[in-house]
Amino acid sequence: MARVLCAWELGSGLGHLGRLIPVARELRGMGHEVVMVLRDTSVMDVTRSEGFQTLAAPLLQSRAEKNPSPLNLPDVLLNLGYDDSRALHGALRGWQSMLDLVAPDVVMADYAPMALVAAGIARVPRITVGSGFALPPPGDPVPALRSWAAADPKVLQALDDRLAARLRSAAGPALQGVAFSARSFFEAETHLLCTFPEIDPFGPREGVEYLGPPGNVNRGLDVSWNGADGARVLAYLKPGAPRVDAVLAALASLDAEVIVAYPGIEAEAAASLSRGSLRVFHKPVEVGPLIAGASLAVFHAGPGFAGQALVAGVPMALLPTHLEQFLVAQRVQQAGLGEIASPEQPAPEFREWFARLMSPGPVHEAAKRESRKHAGHSFAAAAREAALRIAALAPA
Amino acid sequence: MARILFAWELGGELGHAMADNALAAALRARGHRIAFAFRELKPLGYLDDCAAHDVFQAPISLTEGKDAGLPFTFADLLSGCGYNRVSHVAGLLGGWLALLERWRPDMVVCDFAPTALVAARALGIRRASYGNGFSIPPRLTPMPPFRFDGTMEPARMKESEARTLANLNEALARLGAPALESLAQVFREVDEEFLTTFPELDSYGSRPASGYWGPGYNIETGVPVAWPAGSGKRVGVYVRKRVPQLDSLIAALCEQDHRVTAFIPDLEPARAARLASPRRRVSERPIRLAPLLRDCDLFVSHGGSATIGTLLTGVPQLVFPGQYEQYITARRMEQLGVGAWFTPDDDDVAQKMARVLGDPSYAEAARKYARGYAGYSPGEQARRIVMRIEEIVAAPSPWTRSVAGGADAILAPTSPGTKAP
Repeated sequence: MARVLCAWELGSGLGHLGRLIPVARELRGMGHEVVMVLRDTSVMDVTRSEGFQTLAAPLLQSRAEKNPSPLNLPDVLLNLGYDDSRALHGALRGWQSMLDLVAPDVVMADYAPMALVAAGIARVPRITVGSGFALPPPGDPVPALRSWAAADPKVLQALDDRLAARLRSAAGPALQGVAFSARSFFEAETHLLCTFPEIDPFGPREGVEYLGPPGNVNRGLDVSWNGADGARVLAYLKPGAPRVDAVLAALASLDAEVIVAYPGIEAEAAASLSRGSLRVFHKPVEVGPLIAGASLAVFHAGPGFAGQALVAGVPMALLPTHLEQFLVAQRVQQAGLGEIASPEQPAPEFREWFARLMSPGPVHEAAKRESRKHAGHSFAAAAREAALRIAALAPA
Repeated sequence: MARILFAWELGGELGHAMADNALAAALRARGHRIAFAFRELKPLGYLDDCAAHDVFQAPISLTEGKDAGLPFTFADLLSGCGYNRVSHVAGLLGGWLALLERWRPDMVVCDFAPTALVAARALGIRRASYGNGFSIPPRLTPMPPFRFDGTMEPARMKESEARTLANLNEALARLGAPALESLAQVFREVDEEFLTTFPELDSYGSRPASGYWGPGYNIETGVPVAWPAGSGKRVGVYVRKRVPQLDSLIAALCEQDHRVTAFIPDLEPARAARLASPRRRVSERPIRLAPLLRDCDLFVSHGGSATIGTLLTGVPQLVFPGQYEQYITARRMEQLGVGAWFTPDDDDVAQKMARVLGDPSYAEAARKYARGYAGYSPGEQARRIVMRIEEIVAAPSPWTRSVAGGADAILAPTSPGTKAP
């Protein structure tokens, strides 16, 4: 029996938990012990009620003056507090104590760069899981996030060097013999990408294994389609996202049954937005049972939902709100499976845009074609496979 | 040898980490094993002698202060720090329970760490609250307001307390722990209350009979810095760089012939260069204050623990409160006549500095206050706290009791929602 420490250190949203829980369940089913170390205490009730002991991950404070357009992943980390070597020192010590306390056989990291560094120092086998964004593509210096925008390699190198210097300073004289680099934050014995190459922000690429999305733990409301036939739109929106009001108005005007998951708004607001064939829910809804029957998926291009839409062959209307989502959306658009309404471009006529994407056409055909390619994908099997790969890393 | 965990959950600044570290160092010197569960791990970089301790992130809410109104009571504070949602409180509590279950302390010292107190209570672990008046509310129901720049309807006070308590109790129920009758119970049912202030400086002003242990402050460690040579007034500066008037303060210090020693963490090189001169020493590390205070004319600070320490050596004060607790301290200083303070918008730094330095009544009042506590020694306070902690941990802990098959209700570590038989 192995003990696995699941670390989630950076990023937000339900995607991280949606990956970790199914894999953790599988690990437990195989007789292994799982300890969760998570960034967001508000979800620790969920993991504890699942029966997993859950501890708080060391936090860094984001830089006050963030660079709005980080160039590469080291730059992203510098933005998220890694530019402060004192804070980094604290986080490193926090992870080191955590490894001493839990004494795991394997560390499974979901966007947990500092956990990877600490596990590397402690020589605990590491495995990363994720949707691709947290794992930079190979290259020295670490390549630019935006493949379409030229970046000066000298500037990228300077970012790598700066991050490495912060780490060396944080590690202090006791670890002077360790060769740290910007890559130290991303290194692991195995990288499992819980996504498809078509929607990997940096895919397709070598040196990783694509498992596809493992399981689906939305823990959302069970909702079903009312109408027997006709067009159906499944939307997943975030309060406060740009243009979300215009999107809702356009959805209400469509000649289609529309289900909107809008978690985070008040129950009364959801009720007042619902009218006719449009139903708005103020909590997450279970996507699995709905997606197969949908004619169009409208969402912010989160990789989890994108994976489900891809398997189900549903065209995607993508409203990315940040860089990771934009990179996923770009991959979807490149594959012809959907279209992007970028917040940096003038808004499309949403009603017209949705109506076109949900009607038969090239996007529909591409989505169906791609769906057939992934017809054999089992979310449960992906979780099981991830668990097997993790357990295999544990020293005998 | 006992295992002692220090929990710091709420409140900012370096003061908590430094106070905990001083006490922890004394305990470690006596052979005890120490863990820090701190809200911020960055301050570790400023602390001496903590390399041997285990350090953990304290579970805190990522949405602290979001959608929270102006807090009037401790219940309001909790509500703004995650207690407004059952799932969030349950997450915080679960995080503390897991840490305590894994690290197995014999005692938890809670420095502004209410959820850690609740978790330790649920596990039957010995515990003490440790902190100044603000972080240890009076054991009253409902919890009384700490604000004095506004009034609160009694009905609202009760309602806030009831809502916060209901959320906490539902979270406790989810974790299989018994409910609380009041929030005050969390602070009443402790093995000790180390209320480390004096009545005149107590944030709550008055409270039912309590033992004041006296303020803890550390003016004895840090890098040695001497007053620059010369004849100007001696001004000690201990502020954070985010003070809105920092540039005015630097300008005011530079305009006069004052001799200055300053510690401003992470001060940008440009500002440090502007401030530094042969008359003004800028340290990159905390300064050993004790030798400087013997002939210090003014101490400029936020109203944290260093402020109290300098007041008790009779030094007049200029306070830039960074949060409400420090604002209360600043107001107490004003009431005592020992100094002046600034709102974030005040920009009369040079004038107030000149006033406090020029009007002898401030120095007289500060010396008078210090004389009232002339026999007080923070070293003796620390020694007594260490003795009391050792007395408490001498009793068997739940971990040893449960090994011996004791009957204490300890939550089973891996079966949430159920109690161990």
